[in-house]
Amino acid sequence: MIWETALLVGLLFGFGTWMVLQGSFVRILFGFILLSNAANLLVLAMSSNPAGKSAPIVGGPGGPLVDPLPQALILTAIVIGFGVIAYLVLLLYRIFLDQRTTHARELFEGTQSASESSVGEEQR
Amino acid sequence: MMANWAVAPVVIPLITALVALVLGPPTRLRRWIVGFSAALQLMLALAFVFSTYGAEAVVLALGGWMAPFGIVLVVDHLAAIMLSLGALTGLATLLFGYAEIPVGREHPLRLPLVQFLAVGINLSFTTGDLFNLFVAFEVMLISSYALLTLEADDWDIKQAFPYFALNLVGSSFFLAAAGLAYSIFGTLNFAEIALRSTQMVGDERITVLALILMLVFALKAGLFPLYYWLPNSYPILPSPVAALYAGMLTKVGVYVLLRVFGQVLPPSLDMIHVLLGWMAAATMLLGVLGAVSRNFTRGILSWHILSQIGYMVLGIGLFTQWSLTAAIFYVIHHIIVKATLFMVGGTIVVLNRTDDLAKTGGLWVATPVLGVVFLLQALSLAGIPPLSGFWGKYLIIVEGVKQGAWIWVAVALMAGILTLFSMLKIWNGAFWNDAEGQTKVRTQDGRWRPMTAVCVGMTVVSLMIGLGAEVVLKSASEAARQLTDREAYISTVLQSNPRGVE
Repeated sequence: MIWETALLVGLLFGFGTWMVLQGSFVRILFGFILLSNAANLLVLAMSSNPAGKSAPIVGGPGGPLVDPLPQALILTAIVIGFGVIAYLVLLLYRIFLDQRTTHARELFEGTQSASESSVGEEQR
Repeated sequence: MMANWAVAPVVIPLITALVALVLGPPTRLRRWIVGFSAALQLMLALAFVFSTYGAEAVVLALGGWMAPFGIVLVVDHLAAIMLSLGALTGLATLLFGYAEIPVGREHPLRLPLVQFLAVGINLSFTTGDLFNLFVAFEVMLISSYALLTLEADDWDIKQAFPYFALNLVGSSFFLAAAGLAYSIFGTLNFAEIALRSTQMVGDERITVLALILMLVFALKAGLFPLYYWLPNSYPILPSPVAALYAGMLTKVGVYVLLRVFGQVLPPSLDMIHVLLGWMAAATMLLGVLGAVSRNFTRGILSWHILSQIGYMVLGIGLFTQWSLTAAIFYVIHHIIVKATLFMVGGTIVVLNRTDDLAKTGGLWVATPVLGVVFLLQALSLAGIPPLSGFWGKYLIIVEGVKQGAWIWVAVALMAGILTLFSMLKIWNGAFWNDAEGQTKVRTQDGRWRPMTAVCVGMTVVSLMIGLGAEVVLKSASEAARQLTDREAYISTVLQSNPRGVE
């Protein structure tokens, strides 16, 4: 079980990294979702092999219990990750509205960087 | 009862943020409430600085759950110093923001978000738990993403993307590292990790974990190959917020490097310390070269943040108690100076309506006070005695010479000279030369007076650090002593009674 999980974590991290390095906004978005889930799964796996262990519930079947702490940790991490991904969706959408592109490469084409254009006349 | 106050640096800005949100649109009352809260945070943090000097750390077990099992907040001298610097920068940039924008034009979400940012920053300083540190970072980062895009215009918004993306990758790695730390040590509490890691000398898993953590914190601090997100994103911020970011955000990364490598992980990770030293040297040099190549004030200053981060991390890389002292002293000096310089940059924008150095000018004649402030802080940044930057650089370079790290010392000295050169670029462009073309110095716009006053106040603090270096150095060396005294830290945290509940 732990080997399959390790393999899956590796795959998720690798594929997520590859997706993030693509140019299209949608792929980047899904890449980040994969990365965040890879990290969550890694933390979950740290409660060691669950085979033959029961959930830590009061009045449960007894016997060896699964370590509940990593589960509590990823519960926090999932909530944070969800919020951050929601922000990412909005940021990409706003960039699309403002810059009329869904490709990261076109975003920075033409201008070398914003540093070249200084803070211009204030609108205020 | 003192222990219960450890939660105040987190709770006060949190309450302030919520109150500011509830009060709705910006009013004078709201500004007064937030300003009062910022002053309160500063006084509280200073009280911690005095009470932790030469004493053991203040430990609060939240909810009465004992140390290795529950979450603890620990305020030692280093954390107290950082808290007070954060509160001081917060207060100064807040007042600067009040001076820059009339009440009616302030974005209604700016003040609440700045306070949420303070929650994250303060929690990062006080937490005694690796996962709680992750949560603190996320609170800080999410507020910083929101502030970055809040007032950005249609053209600048894309610069938020690299900032966001790189920090998101960093967060994933941090989470993974926290999970790995739990599996290696069976705990996430700093003191317990420090205790167990001393019994696990030579375990290669600790080296791997340290490398991942170094990657994460180096990304936050803006160290060499990981700094691309910083110099392009900071200039899109409104200047008061940019001053706060410039002062505090990267220094949270430096603080965490100090905390984790100085105290939590075993001191035997020589390879990683050397790696940090080389990354620091590269950051110093490339950061200052980036600054030389820019032609507008905030761009130059943003690159300088990176260059200066190099000095602090070099102090960590040399890794003796004395070099950690130097790094802490440098952090104290740098936060004040850097925030002031960004505020001077903001004042230049108000006076000249641009900060393109080809167009600005004539400020020395119009506002000599601002010129003196800039000159003092710029020379301090470059390391001219007896200003505060000199002592920071001196301490680090002396330690480098002692250890025979000649290349690092040479790079540090060269970066200092190039710093002076790029500061002179701003001086010539904005202050000494006449303004070109349509640009006039708009002294009739009265906002620059209170803005300059805030800069003067911060400069006085910076001068006090330079002239009273002995006092500050004592404080920094006490912080470094507490940091490296693992036994005292472990016993203070693990044997603390849950004093909050009787």
